Amino acid sequence: MTMSTIFTAVWHYLARGMNILLLWVAAAAASAQTPVFEIEIREHLFFPAELEIPANQKVKLIIYNHDATPEEFESYELNREKVIVGNSQGVVFIGPLKPGEYPFFGEFNLKTALGKIIVK
Amino acid sequence: MTDAVVIVLREVLEAMLLICMLMASSTAMGYRFRWMALALLLGVGGATIYALRLEQISMTFDGFGQEIVNSTLLVAIAVLLAAHNYFAVRQLKDLQYRIPYGVLLLVFVGTVSMAITREGAEIYLYGYSYGVLAGNMTSVFSGGAIGVGIGLSIGIFFYYALISLPRNKRLITCCIVALVLAAGMMGQAALYLSQADLLPSQQPLWDTSNVFAESSLVGELLHAAIGYEASPSLTQVLLYLGSVLTSLVAMFAAWFLYKKPIETGLRDSQ
Repeated sequence: MTMSTIFTAVWHYLARGMNILLLWVAAAAASAQTPVFEIEIREHLFFPAELEIPANQKVKLIIYNHDATPEEFESYELNREKVIVGNSQGVVFIGPLKPGEYPFFGEFNLKTALGKIIVK
Repeated sequence: MTDAVVIVLREVLEAMLLICMLMASSTAMGYRFRWMALALLLGVGGATIYALRLEQISMTFDGFGQEIVNSTLLVAIAVLLAAHNYFAVRQLKDLQYRIPYGVLLLVFVGTVSMAITREGAEIYLYGYSYGVLAGNMTSVFSGGAIGVGIGLSIGIFFYYALISLPRNKRLITCCIVALVLAAGMMGQAALYLSQADLLPSQQPLWDTSNVFAESSLVGELLHAAIGYEASPSLTQVLLYLGSVLTSLVAMFAAWFLYKKPIETGLRDSQ
């Protein structure tokens, strides 16, 4: 057996193993359902201003900006910030979070765009 | 108008500390500020392109284009700052060593232009949408000018504080500042990548918001300076520490890999 045939065989089995591993990881990720919640921005206000989400779990937040102007969804407590241009949407993952209240705001409209995530 | 002051000041402050530190560092390395012109040009250009194309950029990468671009810029800046520290320590070890101009351009111009791109894009976006389009130009622009003014004042004070130090102490201080700023950038990159679910997210390791609230003035300054987070996740802490380690490795490599040149009685005239 030459070195090259040994190498080819090892590589072949490594590649097969990688494939199986990747498929397993993908299946595991797909089966773990991430709950989806929605927030809307209209007239520089968040709707709902208070959103309840489950505790200790990753959550997918879709933010729809119905205004023509961009808004930056930001929160110190959640450690998140994302600009959502006018008439479009953005996705932000938050959590896992302990039960409590986590305020967020729209950085471009600090006086009106205020809300909080209530984790129960 | 106060909205505009706060919004612009926050963005300006983050870039200003970096720029002023690098300006002080370049004087210690024996170079003047000509690189600043190119850095400003590229930065403002980059910011404009980023802001104008933000919707398109956001929609790529499965809707996470913004997070990918931001974290790429942040990681690149952190790596360049580690490189800055490497060359600064080489200069400390060997007084005759001078960083090649091309390398200086890459490190200094790269860092500053990327920082301005990131912060400038938000300022541009805000100014254009809420100033020009909304017909509020005087209010937004005067507020923005005040924000820039405050940021500049803090930066100038910081620069002159650094300049007052003798060359070697100045280089070491700039290295420390660069190390800390880079770590803060990596922490922020972790934030963006967790937001996009590209890095795992965990519950915060601690919560010091009753000591220094992130929304307070001290908290904001600490965030701009050292990347202070009141409630960081494990991922953020790991990336922060990883960046500190990278900078330290770069500095140790520069110190120990090169021998100090032997002092001779005769000196070459420069």
